[in-house]
Order: sequence, then C-alpha cells, then structure tokens
Amino acid sequence: MKRLATLALISTLATSAFAHSRVDTTTPENGAVIADVPAEISFNFAADIRLTRVDMTHQDHPSVRLDLGDETSFDRVFTLPLQGMGEGIYGIEWRGLGVDGHAMQGEFTFTVD
Amino acid sequence: MPDIWGIAAIYAKLILYVGLAGSVGLVIIRAVFADLVSPISDRMRVQAVLLAGLALAASVLGFMLRGAALTGGADGMTDPEILGLLWQTPVGDVLVYRMAGAVLIIIGVFIPLSGQWIVLAGGLITLWTFAQIGHVPELETTGVRVLLLLHLLGIAFWIGVLGPLRALSRRPEHIASAATLGHRFGQAASVIVPGLILAGLLMAWLLLGDLRALVATGYGQTLLIKLVLVGAILSLAAANKLRFVPAMQAGDDKAAHHLARSIEIETAVILLVLAATATLTSVLTLPN
Repeated sequence: MKRLATLALISTLATSAFAHSRVDTTTPENGAVIADVPAEISFNFAADIRLTRVDMTHQDHPSVRLDLGDETSFDRVFTLPLQGMGEGIYGIEWRGLGVDGHAMQGEFTFTVD
Repeated sequence: MPDIWGIAAIYAKLILYVGLAGSVGLVIIRAVFADLVSPISDRMRVQAVLLAGLALAASVLGFMLRGAALTGGADGMTDPEILGLLWQTPVGDVLVYRMAGAVLIIIGVFIPLSGQWIVLAGGLITLWTFAQIGHVPELETTGVRVLLLLHLLGIAFWIGVLGPLRALSRRPEHIASAATLGHRFGQAASVIVPGLILAGLLMAWLLLGDLRALVATGYGQTLLIKLVLVGAILSLAAANKLRFVPAMQAGDDKAAHHLARSIEIETAVILLVLAATATLTSVLTLPN
C-alpha cells in the first residue's frame, strides 16, 4: 500500500505543464538565428513583473548571471546589456515575480552564426 | 516538469493542507461529537496543536520556497531583498493571516469551552486565505470564494473524523461509540458530501471553462486524476457507511477492524487528492 501510494504520489507530481510564465516577446526571438551577437536583450511581458534573476548560458562557457542594473522595478519591458561570447547557441533563463506574488520563470534561446 | 523549488513548494502546500484541515477538523469533531470522542479527547487536543504547528511551519516554509523560486537557488529562501519583495505582494498578506490563524488555533485549543470559537475563528481566517490568492480568487466572484471556503470546511470536517473514528474502532471497549460516531458522521456526510462534490465540480467548471481542457492540458489532467481519486474515496466511504458501520452497530467486532483498515486506505488516498490539489494550486497554470 505504501509503495503504491508513493508511486501514485510521484506520478501525480510528475505533471508536464509549467508554472505561470507569461512572456509575450523577446529580442532576439526564441529560436532566432542572427549574424552578430546582440549588444542587449529585451523582454516584453504580458503583465507587470519584477525580474529577480537572469542567467545566460553559451555552449562553450559556464552559466553567467546577468546584471539587472536599474531594471529592478515592476514593469513590462526590460532591456539588459549582453556580453558577447562569440558564435554559438545562447540560452537565456529568467525568473521574476508577478504583482500578485506568483513566481514566474521561462527561457529562450538564439543562435549566433 | 516544475523545478526542484516548484516540487518543494508542492510538498510544503501538502503539509499545510494536512496541518490545517487536520487541526480544524479535529476541533470541529471534538466539539460536535463531544460525548462520543470523550475517551480520546485529550489525545485529539494534542494532535490538533501539533497539526496547527505543522501548518504554521509549512506556511513559513512555503513563503521561503517562493523566495527560492525567484532566484533559482536556496539563497533566495533567506535573501532579505527577495523576501521583502514578496512580503509586499498578496503572498505576504496571506502569510500573516495563516500564521495568525494557526496561532489562534493553538491558543484556542488550550482554552476550555469558548476556546473552540477561537479555534474556529483561526481556522476560518486561515482557510479564507485560500480564497485570497490562487486561481479561484482570480475569478473575482465573491460567491465562488465563499463556495471555496465551504468546500474547505467540509473537507476539514471529513478529515477530522478519520483519526478519532479509527482510534475508537481499534479499542474493543469503545466499539459502540465508534459505531455511533460513524453513524452520526455518515448522516452529516450525506448532506455535506454532495455539497462538497457540487461545489468542487462548479469551481472546476468555472476554472476550466471547457471540457476539452480536462484532457488537453496539464491542469485538466491533474484535475482528472483528482476526480478519479475522489471517486475512490467515495467508494470507500460508501462501504464504511453502508456496510461496516451498520455491522458494528449490530455488534460485529470484525467490522470494526475492517473499518479501521478502510480508514487507513482512505487516508492514503486523501493524501494523494491533497497532493494533486497542491500541484494544481502551486505550479500549474489555468488552461485559459
């Protein structure tokens, strides 16, 4: 019975849909292939959010935490400077707080080729 | 898949549900069926305090885990800036109400007679917080919030009877009390449970908006799992009410053993229902 309950609990928890991410658009767009490393990235959210953490990954480098600078208030549009790491696939992972207290997160990738 | 902080948040919510429904339920049962549960009344009081303490701890833990979800690391759980940000949102308000409610429950349990009203007030304050943040409040209809509160009170009443009923039915000298408790709870449940189900289905319909979302989205699928599990609980409850309790009233001691076993299984399934609910309310977005 205990084993059955544990199994059922795990399968209940292993759901696929993700939490509260409501990013409208990003620049560069998710999956975009661009020629040059952009000097900055931007987020455009559907509702006000306070960014709390943004990490950048690059295929040849360990993950880097991006400086939020002055972008630390509730807003819909955020622009962060980006330090180029050459050609390759960039991944941006963000976390933020909704006005209602919801933790939100999401990610997008783009390729410099 | 939610990340580790999302999963931890589900467990914290599950503990909160158990602590809260358990403590409020035990106090309601202790007040409503005082004559029947008197042999285990002191034990129930200790359990109610422990469960309220558990709810208090889970509320704080849940708040800190939201901090971790905001930074993606354990540092967020104690980061003053992040927690300060959260504190200013409705999540901070809810933490205050939940802590105050749990403390009122603990204080009320120790005060004879009038204490049960303090407990009830603490329970209502804490249960009402679920109507303050989450998916149901997003509907912005006061009627639905009240419906949610009644749904939660009904669940607390149900969960509260499980422990005492099991404890009494395992003591040969109290089987008659257990049979009467089971019978009287069954009478109350025959009114409360259909209300619970109707309220649950109505809220589910308002939240989903579309039957197709039940199979097409993660939220709907989890809700479906919850409904199937609730169906299993209802079958067990029906067996208890229609078979074991009448047999116990007729003096069948073996039926008491079966009832105790049935309650244990029912408790395990209820835990799964609460886990599914915690998943719905913690990490899943509504289909629309």
